Amino acid sequence: MPSLLLLFTAALLSSWAQLLTDANSWWSLALNPVQRPEMFIIGAQPVCSQLPGLSPGQRKLCQLYQEHMAYIGEGAKTGIKECQHQFRQRRWNCSTADNASVFGRVMQIGSRETAFTHAVSAAGVVNAISRACREGELSTCGCSRTARPKDLPRDWLWGGCGDNVEYGYRFAKEFVDAREREKNFAKGSEEQGRVLMNLQNNEAGRRAVYKMADVACKCHGVSGSCSLKTCWLQLAEFRKVGDRLKEKYDSAAAMRVTRKGRLELVNSRFTQPTPEDLVYVDPSPDYCLRNESTGSLGTQGRLCNKTSEGMDGCELMCCGRGYNQFKSVQVERCHCKFHWCCFVRCKKCTEIVDQYICK
Amino acid sequence: MGIGRSEGGRRGAALGVLLALGAALLAVGSASEYDYVSFQSDIGPYQSGRFYTKPPQCVDIPADLRLCHNVGYKKMVLPNLLEHETMAEVKQQASSWVPLLNKNCHAGTQVFLCSLFAPVCLDRPIYPCRWLCEAVRDSCEPVMQFFGFYWPEMLKCDKFPEGDVCIAMTPPNATEASKPQGTTVCPPCDNELKSEAIIEHLCASEFALRMKIKEVKKENGDKKIVPKKKKPLKLGPIKKKDLKKLVLYLKNGADCPCHQLDNLSHHFLIMGRKVKSQYLLTAIHKWDKKNKEFKNFMKKMKNHECPTFQSVFK
Repeated sequence: MPSLLLLFTAALLSSWAQLLTDANSWWSLALNPVQRPEMFIIGAQPVCSQLPGLSPGQRKLCQLYQEHMAYIGEGAKTGIKECQHQFRQRRWNCSTADNASVFGRVMQIGSRETAFTHAVSAAGVVNAISRACREGELSTCGCSRTARPKDLPRDWLWGGCGDNVEYGYRFAKEFVDAREREKNFAKGSEEQGRVLMNLQNNEAGRRAVYKMADVACKCHGVSGSCSLKTCWLQLAEFRKVGDRLKEKYDSAAAMRVTRKGRLELVNSRFTQPTPEDLVYVDPSPDYCLRNESTGSLGTQGRLCNKTSEGMDGCELMCCGRGYNQFKSVQVERCHCKFHWCCFVRCKKCTEIVDQYICK
Repeated sequence: MGIGRSEGGRRGAALGVLLALGAALLAVGSASEYDYVSFQSDIGPYQSGRFYTKPPQCVDIPADLRLCHNVGYKKMVLPNLLEHETMAEVKQQASSWVPLLNKNCHAGTQVFLCSLFAPVCLDRPIYPCRWLCEAVRDSCEPVMQFFGFYWPEMLKCDKFPEGDVCIAMTPPNATEASKPQGTTVCPPCDNELKSEAIIEHLCASEFALRMKIKEVKKENGDKKIVPKKKKPLKLGPIKKKDLKKLVLYLKNGADCPCHQLDNLSHHFLIMGRKVKSQYLLTAIHKWDKKNKEFKNFMKKMKNHECPTFQSVFK
């Protein structure tokens, strides 16, 4: 019996240590607005050390690239918003639990959902940094230097100021992966498997933005004609990046860590994932009920769609527990009309709508 | 959704007050029936049709945005509804439309163009009405064709709304009859003699010459103009070897009057552009050093630099 107690204590300490290690994340920069670069002049060291959720390596990068931090925060915010859009009709809807760890204990589990959040957050950073370069906000980068595409018609100009997706990709790789690369877990351990999973998913997110950047053009000839046309590299709409990563989420590959310290497919009959694919090492938890240990918030109190048979339908969303119905009054603008010059006049229309909430 | 911010414009406010008084007679304390969206100096929730752009700002319409500075409102959203991101870009692209505005081809031309180039600051983008676009296009494209232009892709009417939340003058103005075609002066000959307008036109033209005219004759529905004593002010697409045998055309202008050509004994300022293999005349002025406005133009021309897209774009 004393030996059992000792084992229990050891397990508890191990669990606590892991919780401490992974409790915070750089994603918290999205929820705590990063000060504008001017604020950093006052004292670089203390400000970086006070930013929540940074790993030691990320803190060093913060000191070296102070002006980038605001855009990393913007990128994380973009990623979280996109996650909440993509999962808005799901049991787990990417809700933010607290300001430090952002998504809560759910991210401790190496699930598909964790894979998606890592990918979309990394993608958000590439997006934000690339755009900041183009806008001239960062001193270490400027317009894209991507070469003229070979299939661009000869009489079109290649110029303008393109989004610097090359720089955005490289910087996001350094910053986001720093957290994983500085960890040292035993080869073949579960912890190492989780690190490898995160690195793969971060990379998949970055590549989605990089590969989806495309040529955009403007006609600027006299009287709006296309006799003169200038083209440049432009980021894809982030919603499209989110849509692509959601597809990757739906087809994510189940992996496990080998004794040699690599990830391998659980089911060897499936295709090996490419660097653009999402991977996971744990099954998803049940998101139906609130569970403090998994971090699941449960679906009680969630709105659902009575007529839908999809995930947003009441039967699935409420996990068969049933739902309550109530009526709410909505006031909307209607019969709007523009008047010269210049205002829009609308009537106010009220509508009583039925709403359904999971028990 | 919910109830948006409400501020009444003058006219709307008056109407609102009347309605409120009427409502008060029926039931004391009834809530306002109308919601107004007026000028927004902070347009945070503004959702542009374009996904990726600089955050929209409400800025003053500058005095040198000649297309729009007297349109009837004083502030505009930047980036505008044509995806022009900087004021320099707006000015550069708008400048080529100023000559058309001066043609007075339709009463609603300025309102239509400015609703896109200098959109009014409201809480969401408001596009011109489709019918206004169609009316302006139908009246103005014939004039544009005199200059070798066609209605551009960016102003295609079928992308504009047909509902009530769209920009237009009040219907009576928009339906006013256009001038009888028989008395129409050749558009390139119908120009305002003002130095700013001439400079604007010079920038919108591909070439400009000081020259005399040897003869004018009709050819395939155009007026063919044979120049002599040519001195280039702006060569553009004209190669020096071609300058010697240059011939200009007044497109579709065989039978329309052009008073400048009544007397060929003096020098002219002629501006134009190349369309396929023809050099089209887009503006003609008598070279009149005694005219105050023309003298001003000559003075300004020496120092004036036309904006180019490259300079605008950086």
